[in-house]
Amino acid sequence: MRTTSRGLFVALALTPLLASCFASGGSGTDAKAGASGRLRVALAVPPVQALSPYSNDATVLSKLSVVEGLTALDADGTAAPALAKSWTQKNATTWVFELRKATFQDGTEVTAESVVNALDHANAAKIKPRVLSDVTLTAKAEDTDSITISTKAADPVLPLRLASPALGILSTKAYAKDGTVSPVGTGTGPFEITKLTGKTTATLDRFDDYWGGKAKASGIDVTWIADGAARANALRAGEVDIAEWIPTAQAKLLGKDTRHEVPSVRTDSLVLNTRSGIFADESLRAAAREAVDGSVLVDSVFGGYADPAQGLFGPAISWAADKRVAVTGRATAATTAQVKSRTNGRTVRLATYTNRTELPEAATVLQQQLEKAGFTVQQDVREYTQMEADLLAGRYDALVFSRVTLLDTGDAVAYLASDFASNGVYNIAGLQDSAVDQAITSAAAEGDTAQRQQKIMRAEAEILRTDAVVPLIHEKVVQGISTDVEGVVLDPRERSLIDLDTRLK
Amino acid sequence: MSSATSAGARPARWRAGVGRVVAGAALLAAVALLPWLSGIDPALTVLRARSADQDPTPAQLAAIREQLGLDEGPFRHLAHWLGGLPRGDAGTSWVSGEPVLPQVTTAFAVSVTLMLGALVVTIAVAALVSARTLYLGSRRRLRQERTGIGVAILAALPKFVLASLLATVCGVWLGWFPSSGWEGPGSMVLPALALGVPSGAMIGGLLDQSLPAALHEPWARTWYACGLSPGYIARHALRRTLAGVLPQLLPTVVALVGGAVAVEKIFNIPGLGRLALDAAIAQDLPPLQTATLVLVLLGVAAGLLIQALRRALLGPALRDGALPALHSPALPRRHSTRWVAGCCLLALLILVVAGLLRDPLHVDTAARLLPPSAVHPLGTDALGRDLLARLGHGALRTAGVALAVTAVNTITGLLVGMAGRVSAGMTEVMSTLPAVLAGLLTTAVTGPSVWGAACAVCVVGWTPYAAQAAALFEQERASSHVLASISLGAGRMHLLRHHLLPAVLPAVRRNALLRLPTTVLVLASLGFLGLGEQPPTPEWGRLLSENQPYVELAPWTVLGPACALVLLSVLAVSAMASEGNRD
Repeated sequence: MRTTSRGLFVALALTPLLASCFASGGSGTDAKAGASGRLRVALAVPPVQALSPYSNDATVLSKLSVVEGLTALDADGTAAPALAKSWTQKNATTWVFELRKATFQDGTEVTAESVVNALDHANAAKIKPRVLSDVTLTAKAEDTDSITISTKAADPVLPLRLASPALGILSTKAYAKDGTVSPVGTGTGPFEITKLTGKTTATLDRFDDYWGGKAKASGIDVTWIADGAARANALRAGEVDIAEWIPTAQAKLLGKDTRHEVPSVRTDSLVLNTRSGIFADESLRAAAREAVDGSVLVDSVFGGYADPAQGLFGPAISWAADKRVAVTGRATAATTAQVKSRTNGRTVRLATYTNRTELPEAATVLQQQLEKAGFTVQQDVREYTQMEADLLAGRYDALVFSRVTLLDTGDAVAYLASDFASNGVYNIAGLQDSAVDQAITSAAAEGDTAQRQQKIMRAEAEILRTDAVVPLIHEKVVQGISTDVEGVVLDPRERSLIDLDTRLK
Repeated sequence: MSSATSAGARPARWRAGVGRVVAGAALLAAVALLPWLSGIDPALTVLRARSADQDPTPAQLAAIREQLGLDEGPFRHLAHWLGGLPRGDAGTSWVSGEPVLPQVTTAFAVSVTLMLGALVVTIAVAALVSARTLYLGSRRRLRQERTGIGVAILAALPKFVLASLLATVCGVWLGWFPSSGWEGPGSMVLPALALGVPSGAMIGGLLDQSLPAALHEPWARTWYACGLSPGYIARHALRRTLAGVLPQLLPTVVALVGGAVAVEKIFNIPGLGRLALDAAIAQDLPPLQTATLVLVLLGVAAGLLIQALRRALLGPALRDGALPALHSPALPRRHSTRWVAGCCLLALLILVVAGLLRDPLHVDTAARLLPPSAVHPLGTDALGRDLLARLGHGALRTAGVALAVTAVNTITGLLVGMAGRVSAGMTEVMSTLPAVLAGLLTTAVTGPSVWGAACAVCVVGWTPYAAQAAALFEQERASSHVLASISLGAGRMHLLRHHLLPAVLPAVRRNALLRLPTTVLVLASLGFLGLGEQPPTPEWGRLLSENQPYVELAPWTVLGPACALVLLSVLAVSAMASEGNRD
């Protein structure tokens, strides 16, 4: 019949095209996989700037142990030696770092010169990495293996800052004249990127001259799978050994021994607009706080992969619980009748975004809770970039928001300052409260770690007092790890995943 | 009129070319203006695409603006981009800073390969669907009209649900094919099936409907009487009908190159649809413009190819006005058709009435994902809301909006199709434009709104009908009886009312009804731009997309809405079949 013969013809005509297309579309993970102890990993966020450390992609570099900074964060969130084997603080603004003997993946030695070069490039980047947004640092080589770093203002968290993946040290070869930075074969970590294919795959080989010894896995084959269900499928079908960020809806489909939950530093909260609209009235904010119960979200929307909110900082931040300060001096909540009369027919514009699948569901639960308390609620759910400008301009009354509480400084003050200080650039709540500002400033200036943590918790209590933000839950991340793999790092800060000891059984 | 068809062949071709250029240029200009129309600062969206946690400080935004030269305005940019094209330079991406052309060509190659795979499946399914009619018809044993119910069911299957199912069943459970990725011909099978089966049912349904008419023409009877082989007759009947159906391939299959975003996501295919969507959301103009240009060129190329194929199939008959009219024979209808229509109507009525008596918005987190039971006849969704209630409350809104949009699209399609060759270019250009892009342009102009989704779908949704109407009008104008009535002095209106419309309408109407479920899904797919009703309002398309993550854990959450959609589609098609017979 004509149809079939045409189909056949089309199929025949396609064969050469197909062959060329798949070849260029990038394979290279097949055949080799598994047999030689290579790990196959499915990551969630495809590279946006060809793995430039100054973009989102920086975390990939640290997750896969490709790039190291002068320091690293240990389990408690304090600075640990990495490329610098030790450091001393000379005065409030000057630090001296002693480098260890290490080699770049392109064969050159790590010298003070190359470290200074790397830091200078980060400092001079047109779009400054987030970690340098509130500090200006100058690095100077003292001799071949020690450098001095000075900051304009005192920066007590400098060693933490230097652990940021954005400040990873790359060899001179990595920095092109046009400002782009390529980590391909230029890092110092135990794994070396040998090939990056667009936004789909990357091949990493073991770097045998790593200063810390040889990695146990002989290489890593990375596939980026943006869709959470597809990542879970790839793990279940045995196409990958590790799949990060399994959506809560899919987690139950994985075997008990393949899903590993990690408390995350992400807190989901209801942010109320204190600047204008209904929630400018503090009694209504208090009413909303009393109406909203985030704990019901834990077992429903988050399928058990979350912790009920204890404050802004959750169990992933180990010191937070012990140092928590009780919240006092909150406004009295309006009763249901008062809510009805004070809102006077106005609706609460409740915004949230589709990028995280759980948030729209959470918003619907919250809508019902708020309506019980007498509010009328209208949702607005869109893609995040479609609404960010409106959010910053305060065009909503409330926002269900998922926020990382330890930004890339690894220090909680940065989050508090950008989100809740009067001059904070991410102050969606529009909070203008002198007591809050004071508490944040005092925490930022504190050099002693324990004291600083205490002051951070005091600032948390001040912020919660204003009811500008109602914490709902602390997220947990589900990592899918095949039973054949051991030694995967379960890091609440999502900075590490594979290290020296990760290997196939 | 007759002079226009014969002597005006060259001006018509010229006009078609102008139509293509104008439509393509208008589209590119609209895309180039996107950030300035939308009022959303491109510096902010680019910053967000680069880094999720970066603070949008004024200094950062200013740095990006300076880096990208945003203050120069849209026209400088467009001119710069256009200027680079002849040199093979499509600019660098605002987000990644990498050259755009290699990215777009790779993604394009992937998408075209996938589309060709889907085309093979489409052809196979269409062949299966129409095989029976062809077999019986060529042996003159066609006694009853086909109802097209099976076709309606297949065509109503949402592609992303099909894709999820295939990935789970054939990829994970059985392990026959890779569950995701783009590693070799094996990874093409499942996505091609997910895309091709509904398209094949659609194309097959249209073919199946027009085949009896061709097989009923005098030549077929004569040939059969002369003892020519049924296969020979079947081939010529196909040739006769394919000419009218071929243009459907453009909006149905070729459009998948840019419009298969959901399936590309589920199977993790690095295709053009995702590239264009990411670029559009980040307002990253160089890749977006390049992708649009590539899609426009693809649409025009495919349109020309299809035009050439039609010429080859119908030959000089089309030009010389020697085609006999293609009119369906009055075959006795099946009694079952009416029964099916009645049953569907009853089922939907029960669904709506039973649903309206329940609360669709009541969230009960304790009653999460409950399977169907006496309390919740269709089960509950992830928030413990009663699915029956949500389906029932959503029915009128969903069906109403989808029908209204389809009606507008059909009328637009007919009008455009009537305009003849000038419009062909516009149809080709618009038919490969992804609905999401139309949605973004609509949001840019109107802002997020309840009617936005409907508007956006009206902007692009008319192309299948225009393509079909144009082909049928052309064929009908070339038929001998129309020439006869022209020579008898019939005016344009008379021709239109008595000859052209009656010949074109039934086929277009059937097409529209087969596409009804697709319309529902496309409307819902624009929700993330803030277009359409906001949640928690129940609406069938949203029910499907919000429950899609639970398809394996709680299949009933997807099964209910999918069945409702199938019911709606079968009702529409069978009601038309039984009504059509009454005429």
